[in-house]
Amino acid sequence: MKIIPDDLLYSREHIWVRVEGDLATIGITDYAQEKLGEIVSLDLPEVDADLERDEPFGSIESAKAVVELISPVSGVVISVNEDITDDIGIINSDPHDTGWMIIVEMDDPEELDDLLDTRGYQEFVIQETEVD
Amino acid sequence: MESWRLLSFGKADAVENMAVDEAVFREAIRKRVPPTLRFYSWRTPTVSIGYFQEARREIDLEACRRLGIDFIRRPTGGKAVLHDREVTYAVIAGADHPLFPPDILRSFRVISGCIARGLRAIGIKAEMKAGGRAASDESLRTSCFSSPSRYELLVKGRKICGASQMRSHGVLLQHGALLMAFDPEKTCAILLPHRDPERQAALLRDSVTAVEEQAGRPVDERQLCRVLREGFEQGLGIRFVEAPLTPDEETLKRELMAKKYSSENWNVEGNKSWISGY
Repeated sequence: MKIIPDDLLYSREHIWVRVEGDLATIGITDYAQEKLGEIVSLDLPEVDADLERDEPFGSIESAKAVVELISPVSGVVISVNEDITDDIGIINSDPHDTGWMIIVEMDDPEELDDLLDTRGYQEFVIQETEVD
Repeated sequence: MESWRLLSFGKADAVENMAVDEAVFREAIRKRVPPTLRFYSWRTPTVSIGYFQEARREIDLEACRRLGIDFIRRPTGGKAVLHDREVTYAVIAGADHPLFPPDILRSFRVISGCIARGLRAIGIKAEMKAGGRAASDESLRTSCFSSPSRYELLVKGRKICGASQMRSHGVLLQHGALLMAFDPEKTCAILLPHRDPERQAALLRDSVTAVEEQAGRPVDERQLCRVLREGFEQGLGIRFVEAPLTPDEETLKRELMAKKYSSENWNVEGNKSWISGY
Protein backbone atom coordinates (compact mmCIF):
# COMPACT_ATOMS: atom_id res chain seq x y z
CA MET A 1 0.00 0.00 0.00
CA LYS A 2 1.25 3.45 -0.83
CA ILE A 3 1.70 6.24 1.68
CA ILE A 4 -1.58 7.96 2.59
CA PRO A 5 -0.89 10.47 5.39
CA ASP A 6 -3.75 10.86 7.84
CA ASP A 7 -3.53 14.66 8.16
CA LEU A 8 -4.69 15.24 4.56
CA LEU A 9 -7.96 15.04 2.64
CA TYR A 10 -8.19 13.35 -0.77
CA SER A 11 -10.21 13.71 -3.97
CA ARG A 12 -11.27 10.88 -6.25
CA GLU A 13 -9.04 12.57 -8.85
CA HIS A 14 -6.02 11.64 -6.68
CA ILE A 15 -5.35 15.14 -5.39
CA TRP A 16 -4.49 15.70 -1.72
CA VAL A 17 -5.49 18.79 0.26
CA ARG A 18 -3.91 20.15 3.45
CA VAL A 19 -6.30 22.59 5.15
CA GLU A 20 -5.20 25.50 7.32
CA GLY A 21 -8.09 27.89 7.97
CA ASP A 22 -9.44 28.93 4.59
CA LEU A 23 -6.20 27.98 2.82
CA ALA A 24 -5.85 24.69 0.94
CA THR A 25 -2.43 23.37 -0.08
CA ILE A 26 -2.81 20.99 -3.02
CA GLY A 27 -0.71 18.29 -4.68
CA ILE A 28 -0.98 14.83 -6.25
CA THR A 29 -1.00 11.69 -4.15
CA ASP A 30 1.75 9.12 -3.84
CA TYR A 31 -0.58 6.58 -5.48
CA ALA A 32 -1.08 8.96 -8.44
CA GLN A 33 2.63 9.62 -8.94
CA GLU A 34 3.30 5.90 -8.90
CA LYS A 35 0.62 5.23 -11.53
CA LEU A 36 1.92 8.10 -13.67
CA GLY A 37 5.56 7.10 -13.58
CA GLU A 38 8.32 9.65 -14.17
CA ILE A 39 6.78 13.10 -14.58
CA VAL A 40 8.53 15.08 -17.32
CA SER A 41 6.45 18.26 -17.81
CA LEU A 42 4.21 20.39 -15.68
CA ASP A 43 1.86 23.32 -16.16
CA LEU A 44 0.47 25.16 -13.15
CA PRO A 45 -1.70 28.29 -12.92
CA GLU A 46 -0.28 31.67 -11.98
CA VAL A 47 -0.84 33.44 -8.69
CA ASP A 48 -4.26 35.18 -8.65
CA ALA A 49 -5.80 32.65 -11.06
CA ASP A 50 -9.39 31.73 -10.24
CA LEU A 51 -10.04 28.03 -9.79
CA GLU A 52 -13.32 26.19 -9.98
CA ARG A 53 -13.97 22.93 -8.25
CA ASP A 54 -13.89 19.92 -10.62
CA GLU A 55 -12.19 21.96 -13.36
CA PRO A 56 -8.54 21.58 -14.43
CA PHE A 57 -6.00 23.74 -12.61
CA GLY A 58 -3.01 22.43 -14.52
CA SER A 59 -1.58 19.40 -16.22
CA ILE A 60 1.38 17.06 -16.09
CA GLU A 61 2.98 14.74 -18.61
CA SER A 62 4.52 11.36 -18.05
CA ALA A 63 5.01 8.42 -20.40
CA LYS A 64 3.60 10.45 -23.32
CA ALA A 65 0.34 11.03 -21.46
CA VAL A 66 -0.96 14.45 -20.48
CA VAL A 67 -3.06 14.30 -17.34
CA GLU A 68 -5.26 17.20 -16.32
CA LEU A 69 -5.09 18.08 -12.63
CA ILE A 70 -8.60 18.58 -11.30
CA SER A 71 -9.14 21.14 -8.58
CA PRO A 72 -10.92 19.80 -5.49
CA VAL A 73 -11.94 23.31 -4.38
CA SER A 74 -12.92 26.70 -5.81
CA GLY A 75 -10.90 29.78 -4.96
CA VAL A 76 -7.93 31.96 -5.84
CA VAL A 77 -4.35 30.75 -6.20
CA ILE A 78 -2.16 32.61 -3.70
CA SER A 79 1.06 30.64 -4.08
CA VAL A 80 2.70 28.30 -6.62
CA ASN A 81 5.59 25.99 -5.72
CA GLU A 82 8.49 27.28 -7.83
CA ASP A 83 10.79 24.53 -6.52
CA ILE A 84 8.92 21.84 -8.47
CA THR A 85 9.03 23.81 -11.69
CA ASP A 86 12.83 23.93 -11.25
CA ASP A 87 13.12 20.25 -10.24
CA ILE A 88 10.09 18.34 -11.43
CA GLY A 89 11.38 15.07 -9.96
CA ILE A 90 10.32 16.27 -6.50
CA ILE A 91 6.72 15.41 -7.40
CA ASN A 92 7.70 11.76 -7.79
CA SER A 93 10.08 11.64 -4.83
CA ASP A 94 8.11 13.60 -2.23
CA PRO A 95 4.55 14.18 -3.48
CA HIS A 96 2.91 14.92 -0.13
CA ASP A 97 5.40 17.41 1.26
CA THR A 98 7.97 19.35 -0.76
CA GLY A 99 6.13 18.29 -3.95
CA TRP A 100 3.10 20.47 -3.12
CA MET A 101 1.78 22.37 -6.14
CA ILE A 102 -0.36 25.35 -5.20
CA ILE A 103 -2.02 27.08 -2.25
CA VAL A 104 -5.59 28.21 -2.78
CA GLU A 105 -7.65 30.65 -0.75
CA MET A 106 -10.95 28.79 -0.75
CA ASP A 107 -14.27 30.41 -1.67
CA ASP A 108 -16.31 27.82 0.17
CA PRO A 109 -14.64 25.50 2.69
CA GLU A 110 -17.83 23.41 2.72
CA GLU A 111 -16.62 21.97 -0.60
CA LEU A 112 -14.15 19.99 1.52
CA ASP A 113 -17.06 17.89 2.80
CA ASP A 114 -17.00 15.92 -0.47
CA LEU A 115 -13.37 14.86 -0.01
CA LEU A 116 -12.22 11.56 1.46
CA ASP A 117 -10.25 10.97 4.64
CA THR A 118 -7.30 8.56 4.72
CA ARG A 119 -9.47 5.50 5.20
CA GLY A 120 -11.95 6.53 2.51
CA TYR A 121 -9.15 7.17 0.03
CA GLN A 122 -7.49 3.89 0.90
CA GLU A 123 -10.73 2.06 0.10
CA PHE A 124 -11.14 4.07 -3.12
CA VAL A 125 -7.64 3.11 -4.25
CA ILE A 126 -8.24 -0.55 -3.41
CA GLN A 127 -11.40 -0.52 -5.54
CA GLU A 128 -9.52 1.07 -8.43
CA THR A 129 -6.68 -1.42 -8.11
CA GLU A 130 -9.08 -4.37 -8.19
CA VAL A 131 -9.69 -3.82 -11.91
CA ASP A 132 -5.93 -3.79 -12.44
CA MET B 1 -20.84 -8.45 -25.35
CA GLU B 2 -20.08 -4.78 -24.79
CA SER B 3 -20.71 -2.37 -27.68
CA TRP B 4 -18.41 0.50 -28.56
CA ARG B 5 -19.06 3.20 -31.12
CA LEU B 6 -16.99 3.28 -34.29
CA LEU B 7 -16.51 6.60 -36.06
CA SER B 8 -15.67 5.36 -39.55
CA PHE B 9 -12.56 6.33 -41.47
CA GLY B 10 -12.64 9.73 -43.12
CA LYS B 11 -10.30 12.54 -44.15
CA ALA B 12 -10.44 15.95 -42.54
CA ASP B 13 -8.09 18.85 -41.98
CA ALA B 14 -5.97 19.10 -38.85
CA VAL B 15 -8.24 21.57 -37.04
CA GLU B 16 -11.29 19.36 -37.45
CA ASN B 17 -9.42 16.16 -36.61
CA MET B 18 -8.21 17.44 -33.25
CA ALA B 19 -11.54 19.12 -32.47
CA VAL B 20 -13.48 15.89 -33.09
CA ASP B 21 -11.23 13.90 -30.78
CA GLU B 22 -11.43 16.43 -27.98
CA ALA B 23 -15.20 16.84 -28.40
CA VAL B 24 -15.69 13.09 -28.02
CA PHE B 25 -13.31 13.08 -25.05
CA ARG B 26 -15.16 15.93 -23.28
CA GLU B 27 -18.53 14.30 -23.91
CA ALA B 28 -17.15 11.00 -22.60
CA ILE B 29 -16.20 12.83 -19.38
CA ARG B 30 -19.86 13.85 -19.11
CA LYS B 31 -20.76 10.18 -19.66
CA ARG B 32 -22.92 11.07 -22.65
CA VAL B 33 -21.20 8.88 -25.26
CA PRO B 34 -20.06 5.25 -25.30
CA PRO B 35 -16.40 4.21 -25.55
CA THR B 36 -15.35 5.16 -29.06
CA LEU B 37 -12.79 4.19 -31.68
CA ARG B 38 -12.21 6.60 -34.53
CA PHE B 39 -10.08 6.14 -37.65
CA TYR B 40 -9.07 9.08 -39.79
CA SER B 41 -6.56 10.58 -42.13
CA TRP B 42 -5.38 14.10 -42.94
CA ARG B 43 -6.61 16.10 -45.92
CA THR B 44 -3.39 18.13 -45.96
CA PRO B 45 -0.04 16.86 -44.69
CA THR B 46 0.25 18.11 -41.11
CA VAL B 47 2.89 18.14 -38.44
CA SER B 48 1.39 17.77 -34.99
CA ILE B 49 3.30 18.44 -31.79
CA GLY B 50 2.66 17.18 -28.29
CA TYR B 51 0.85 19.24 -25.71
CA PHE B 52 4.02 20.37 -23.94
CA GLN B 53 6.34 20.86 -26.91
CA GLU B 54 7.74 24.27 -27.82
CA ALA B 55 6.66 24.96 -31.39
CA ARG B 56 9.31 27.48 -32.43
CA ARG B 57 12.16 25.54 -30.85
CA GLU B 58 11.24 22.16 -32.30
CA ILE B 59 9.49 22.77 -35.63
CA ASP B 60 10.65 24.81 -38.64
CA LEU B 61 7.36 26.65 -39.14
CA GLU B 62 8.70 28.51 -42.19
CA ALA B 63 9.63 25.20 -43.86
CA CYS B 64 6.11 23.93 -43.09
CA ARG B 65 4.61 26.94 -44.89
CA ARG B 66 6.99 26.51 -47.82
CA LEU B 67 6.19 22.79 -48.17
CA GLY B 68 2.43 23.22 -47.72
CA ILE B 69 2.41 21.34 -44.41
CA ASP B 70 -0.18 22.35 -41.80
CA PHE B 71 0.79 22.66 -38.17
CA ILE B 72 -1.22 21.87 -35.04
CA ARG B 73 -0.77 21.18 -31.33
CA ARG B 74 -2.41 17.98 -30.07
CA PRO B 75 -4.22 17.74 -26.74
CA THR B 76 -2.20 14.55 -26.10
CA GLY B 77 1.41 14.23 -24.98
CA GLY B 78 4.46 12.93 -26.80
CA LYS B 79 6.48 14.40 -29.63
CA ALA B 80 6.16 15.67 -33.19
CA VAL B 81 4.57 13.52 -35.91
CA LEU B 82 4.36 14.28 -39.63
CA HIS B 83 0.95 12.98 -40.68
CA ASP B 84 1.13 12.46 -44.40
CA ARG B 85 0.18 9.04 -45.74
CA GLU B 86 -1.14 7.60 -42.53
CA VAL B 87 -4.07 6.05 -40.70
CA THR B 88 -4.59 7.70 -37.34
CA TYR B 89 -6.71 6.18 -34.61
CA ALA B 90 -8.25 7.71 -31.50
CA VAL B 91 -9.53 5.60 -28.61
CA ILE B 92 -11.75 7.36 -26.09
CA ALA B 93 -12.82 5.32 -23.08
CA GLY B 94 -13.01 5.40 -19.30
CA ALA B 95 -9.52 4.98 -17.89
CA ASP B 96 -11.32 3.07 -15.12
CA HIS B 97 -12.89 0.74 -17.70
CA PRO B 98 -12.28 -2.86 -16.62
CA LEU B 99 -10.35 -3.40 -19.86
CA PHE B 100 -7.76 -0.78 -18.95
CA PRO B 101 -5.31 -1.02 -16.05
CA PRO B 102 -5.05 2.25 -14.11
CA ASP B 103 -1.40 2.83 -14.81
CA ILE B 104 -0.62 4.60 -18.03
CA LEU B 105 2.06 2.38 -19.53
CA ARG B 106 -0.03 -0.74 -19.17
CA SER B 107 -3.01 0.92 -20.86
CA PHE B 108 -0.72 1.64 -23.84
CA ARG B 109 0.05 -2.08 -23.84
CA VAL B 110 -3.63 -3.05 -24.07
CA ILE B 111 -4.21 -0.84 -27.10
CA SER B 112 -0.92 -1.78 -28.76
CA GLY B 113 -1.98 -5.42 -28.44
CA CYS B 114 -5.13 -4.69 -30.47
CA ILE B 115 -3.14 -2.86 -33.18
CA ALA B 116 -0.59 -5.70 -33.37
CA ARG B 117 -3.42 -8.21 -33.76
CA GLY B 118 -4.85 -6.19 -36.64
CA LEU B 119 -1.48 -5.86 -38.36
CA ARG B 120 -0.97 -9.62 -38.20
CA ALA B 121 -4.05 -10.02 -40.41
CA ILE B 122 -2.17 -8.30 -43.24
CA GLY B 123 1.02 -10.22 -42.61
CA ILE B 124 2.89 -7.71 -40.44
CA LYS B 125 4.39 -9.11 -37.27
CA ALA B 126 4.76 -6.17 -34.89
CA GLU B 127 6.18 -6.57 -31.42
CA MET B 128 5.95 -4.36 -28.40
CA LYS B 129 8.96 -2.43 -27.26
CA ALA B 130 9.86 -4.10 -23.98
CA GLY B 131 12.23 -1.69 -22.29
CA GLY B 132 12.10 2.03 -21.58
CA ARG B 133 12.63 4.96 -23.84
CA ALA B 134 15.72 5.00 -26.05
CA ALA B 135 16.19 7.95 -28.35
CA SER B 136 18.23 6.95 -31.36
CA ASP B 137 19.94 10.31 -31.63
CA GLU B 138 19.81 13.46 -29.55
CA SER B 139 19.37 15.65 -32.64
CA LEU B 140 16.11 13.80 -33.37
CA ARG B 141 14.69 14.14 -29.91
CA THR B 142 11.70 16.15 -31.19
CA SER B 143 10.39 13.35 -33.42
CA CYS B 144 7.90 10.85 -32.06
CA PHE B 145 9.09 8.10 -34.35
CA SER B 146 12.78 8.44 -33.55
CA SER B 147 12.36 7.13 -30.01
CA PRO B 148 10.15 4.15 -29.29
CA SER B 149 8.62 4.13 -25.83
CA ARG B 150 7.66 1.09 -23.83
CA TYR B 151 4.80 -0.90 -25.36
CA GLU B 152 4.96 0.92 -28.69
CA LEU B 153 5.05 -1.31 -31.77
CA LEU B 154 8.18 -2.24 -33.66
CA VAL B 155 8.81 -4.42 -36.69
CA LYS B 156 12.34 -5.85 -36.64
CA GLY B 157 13.36 -3.07 -34.26
CA ARG B 158 11.86 -0.24 -36.34
CA LYS B 159 8.88 1.69 -35.02
CA ILE B 160 5.65 1.33 -36.97
CA CYS B 161 3.09 2.91 -34.65
CA GLY B 162 3.49 5.82 -32.24
CA ALA B 163 0.98 6.68 -29.55
CA SER B 164 0.21 9.32 -26.94
CA GLN B 165 -2.55 10.00 -24.42
CA MET B 166 -4.55 12.61 -22.61
CA ARG B 167 -6.45 11.86 -19.41
CA SER B 168 -8.94 13.80 -17.37
CA HIS B 169 -11.73 12.94 -14.94
CA GLY B 170 -11.05 9.23 -15.38
CA VAL B 171 -11.32 9.24 -19.19
CA LEU B 172 -8.49 8.57 -21.62
CA LEU B 173 -7.95 9.70 -25.19
CA GLN B 174 -5.22 7.76 -26.98
CA HIS B 175 -3.90 8.93 -30.32
CA GLY B 176 -1.94 6.56 -32.49
CA ALA B 177 -0.35 6.99 -35.89
CA LEU B 178 0.25 4.13 -38.33
CA LEU B 179 2.35 5.28 -41.24
CA MET B 180 1.29 3.86 -44.62
CA ALA B 181 4.52 5.17 -46.12
CA PHE B 182 7.38 7.15 -44.60
CA ASP B 183 9.37 10.05 -46.01
CA PRO B 184 12.38 10.68 -43.74
CA GLU B 185 13.69 13.62 -45.81
CA LYS B 186 10.38 15.48 -45.53
CA THR B 187 10.25 14.76 -41.80
CA CYS B 188 13.78 16.09 -41.29
CA ALA B 189 13.00 19.21 -43.32
CA ILE B 190 10.48 20.36 -40.72
CA LEU B 191 12.14 19.24 -37.49
CA LEU B 192 14.56 21.44 -35.58
CA PRO B 193 17.44 21.53 -35.07
CA HIS B 194 18.68 21.03 -38.66
CA ARG B 195 22.11 19.66 -37.87
CA ASP B 196 23.01 17.14 -40.51
CA PRO B 197 19.86 16.48 -42.56
CA GLU B 198 21.32 13.58 -44.50
CA ARG B 199 22.51 11.81 -41.38
CA GLN B 200 19.24 12.55 -39.60
CA ALA B 201 17.25 11.12 -42.51
CA ALA B 202 19.42 8.00 -42.53
CA LEU B 203 18.90 7.53 -38.81
CA LEU B 204 15.16 7.95 -39.18
CA ARG B 205 15.09 5.47 -42.06
CA ASP B 206 16.84 2.95 -39.81
CA SER B 207 14.47 3.47 -36.90
CA VAL B 208 11.09 3.90 -38.61
CA THR B 209 9.10 1.69 -40.93
CA ALA B 210 5.66 1.81 -42.55
CA VAL B 211 2.73 -0.47 -43.35
CA GLU B 212 3.28 -0.75 -47.10
CA GLU B 213 7.00 -1.38 -46.72
CA GLN B 214 6.31 -4.25 -44.32
CA ALA B 215 3.33 -5.64 -46.23
CA GLY B 216 5.37 -5.51 -49.43
CA ARG B 217 2.42 -4.15 -51.41
CA PRO B 218 0.09 -1.15 -51.53
CA VAL B 219 -2.46 -1.32 -48.71
CA ASP B 220 -5.81 0.38 -48.92
CA GLU B 221 -6.51 2.61 -45.90
CA ARG B 222 -10.02 1.23 -45.48
CA GLN B 223 -8.72 -2.32 -45.58
CA LEU B 224 -6.24 -1.43 -42.84
CA CYS B 225 -9.05 0.10 -40.77
CA ARG B 226 -11.08 -3.12 -41.17
CA VAL B 227 -8.32 -5.34 -39.82
CA LEU B 228 -7.56 -2.90 -37.01
CA ARG B 229 -11.24 -2.84 -36.09
CA GLU B 230 -11.18 -6.63 -35.87
CA GLY B 231 -7.99 -6.43 -33.81
CA PHE B 232 -9.81 -4.25 -31.26
CA GLU B 233 -12.90 -6.47 -31.28
CA GLN B 234 -10.88 -9.62 -30.66
CA GLY B 235 -8.37 -8.00 -28.32
CA LEU B 236 -10.94 -6.33 -26.09
CA GLY B 237 -13.83 -8.76 -26.52
CA ILE B 238 -16.17 -6.02 -27.76
CA ARG B 239 -18.13 -5.28 -30.89
CA PHE B 240 -18.39 -1.99 -32.75
CA VAL B 241 -21.51 -0.19 -33.86
CA GLU B 242 -20.94 2.47 -36.52
CA ALA B 243 -22.55 5.75 -35.53
CA PRO B 244 -21.91 9.44 -36.21
CA LEU B 245 -21.07 12.21 -33.73
CA THR B 246 -23.96 13.25 -31.50
CA PRO B 247 -25.44 16.76 -31.97
CA ASP B 248 -23.69 17.87 -28.74
CA GLU B 249 -20.36 16.56 -30.03
CA GLU B 250 -20.91 18.41 -33.32
CA THR B 251 -21.59 21.64 -31.45
CA LEU B 252 -18.55 21.22 -29.24
CA LYS B 253 -16.40 20.28 -32.25
CA ARG B 254 -17.32 23.55 -33.98
CA GLU B 255 -16.57 25.51 -30.82
CA LEU B 256 -13.18 23.82 -30.38
CA MET B 257 -12.34 24.39 -34.05
CA ALA B 258 -13.10 28.10 -33.79
CA LYS B 259 -11.70 28.89 -30.36
CA LYS B 260 -8.86 26.44 -29.82
CA TYR B 261 -7.48 24.52 -32.76
CA SER B 262 -7.56 27.44 -35.24
CA SER B 263 -5.80 29.63 -32.72
CA GLU B 264 -2.12 30.51 -32.97
CA ASN B 265 -2.31 31.15 -29.26
CA TRP B 266 -2.89 27.42 -28.71
CA ASN B 267 -1.01 25.93 -31.66
CA VAL B 268 2.17 27.99 -31.62
CA GLU B 269 2.29 29.73 -28.26
CA GLY B 270 0.95 26.75 -26.36
CA ASN B 271 -1.14 29.00 -24.18
CA LYS B 272 -3.17 26.73 -21.95
CA SER B 273 -5.43 29.20 -20.24
CA TRP B 274 -7.63 26.79 -18.38
CA ILE B 275 -10.82 27.24 -20.34
CA SER B 276 -13.69 25.91 -18.31
CA GLY B 277 -16.89 24.71 -19.86
CA TYR B 278 -15.53 22.18 -22.35
